[in-house]
Amino acid sequence: MSMIDNVQNLAREWLDSKEVDAIFGLKEQDGYIAPYLFTDVGELSCLVISNQYRLCYTCRPAKENILSLMLQTEPNAKIGVVVRGCEERALIELAKRGQVDLKRIKILGVACSKEDAEECRCEKPYPGNLVLGEKVEGVSGDENVNALLSKSLPERRAFWKHEFSKCIKCYGCRNVCPMCICKDCKMEQELYTETGWLPPGIPMFHFIRFYHISDRCIGCGECEKACPVDIPLLTIFKLLQKDVKDLFDYEAGMDVEQEEPLLTTLDETPMREEVMDVGV
Amino acid sequence: MDKKGFEPKILAFCCNWCAYAGADLAGVSRMQYPPNIRIIRVMCSGRVEPELVVKALSLGTDGVLVLGCHIGDCHYISGNHRTVKRMAILERILGYLGIDPARVKLEWVSAAEGARFAQVVSDFTSKIKELGPIPLQELRP
Ligand code: SF4
Ligand code: SF4
Repeated sequence: MSMIDNVQNLAREWLDSKEVDAIFGLKEQDGYIAPYLFTDVGELSCLVISNQYRLCYTCRPAKENILSLMLQTEPNAKIGVVVRGCEERALIELAKRGQVDLKRIKILGVACSKEDAEECRCEKPYPGNLVLGEKVEGVSGDENVNALLSKSLPERRAFWKHEFSKCIKCYGCRNVCPMCICKDCKMEQELYTETGWLPPGIPMFHFIRFYHISDRCIGCGECEKACPVDIPLLTIFKLLQKDVKDLFDYEAGMDVEQEEPLLTTLDETPMREEVMDVGV
Repeated sequence: MDKKGFEPKILAFCCNWCAYAGADLAGVSRMQYPPNIRIIRVMCSGRVEPELVVKALSLGTDGVLVLGCHIGDCHYISGNHRTVKRMAILERILGYLGIDPARVKLEWVSAAEGARFAQVVSDFTSKIKELGPIPLQELRP
């Protein structure tokens, strides 16, 4: 039986046994794929998994994303969510920031194929909560990362000057990132981003996202895929993921209990109270 | 610009409670330090978001100092804990972008350390003189 049959069968089981009230996943209709809330078992034959469309997309904007809207309108419902590795990591990081309530979600974690992992340059192509499928090894090492590291400082400047000059300031990278959840974005503030100019400030504009997402990037690669001018944004995020691990022994999306390092003191006491009050 | 006659522009973010008082002490004690530095007083070194540092560099500042209270002495208890962690990330990103991370530096200066303030500023200024003018203009297309 193929992977997707297994997913559909399990979803059917969960719905039939009332373990969950609905299944959130991707639906294919007339050749198009979109997120969908399945409540009728009859429709489950249209449930698909796709690396072209991720549930990550549906994680923002804060409190207005599909998942949290559903959880708000149906306050007692429990929802099963079909997730791949990156999507599960996104849910965990979002839960830490009060964006979704994991207690009301049942995770149907599926493993990605070797081909998918390679296409996404994914280092961990399976969820921690693996329900269906076989784990395959993620890719190790990254060509773009190695290429950047082998460059001298002036070469790196020239490289990024070339890349960032292409930016058309479409905000695609930010809009698609499951971790960019702020309503007020510094990338839109006059202080940091002059309006009326293209390309936006080099490296100011992109630095904002590199820094803000540094300790929470789950490495899904959506930003880079979304970029219409192919700026290799993931290169720096991959490096930062490693830095955050080395510096703070922290990996985004792994443990819902572990506080993000930029919001803890040096002895890891959370400073959460202060931040949870501001505009999320 | 030739490096020899180069006088760098250096920005120092000083926290209100320790570093700024330290700078004040250096001043009233008439300690000598290079005049390349411009001070911006902030309430806490934790106020210094890395974007501010990058903005300063983008505008042509050759080096940025962030000066705060020693760990444990922060007026806001843990403000400077944030600064340490942020600066570590900031330095890494600067490196990946091709900007020498030595152009930014975090140091602790207490209100009683006027001499230390003068020393930190002198050391940093000579370091930036060595590095030369910030090459960020060439990042402007
Ligand atoms: S890879 Fe890009 S889109 Fe995905 S979490 Fe990291 S910054 Fe956001
Ligand atoms: S997606 Fe690419 S072009 Fe659009 S703002 Fe981001 S970096 Fe610039």
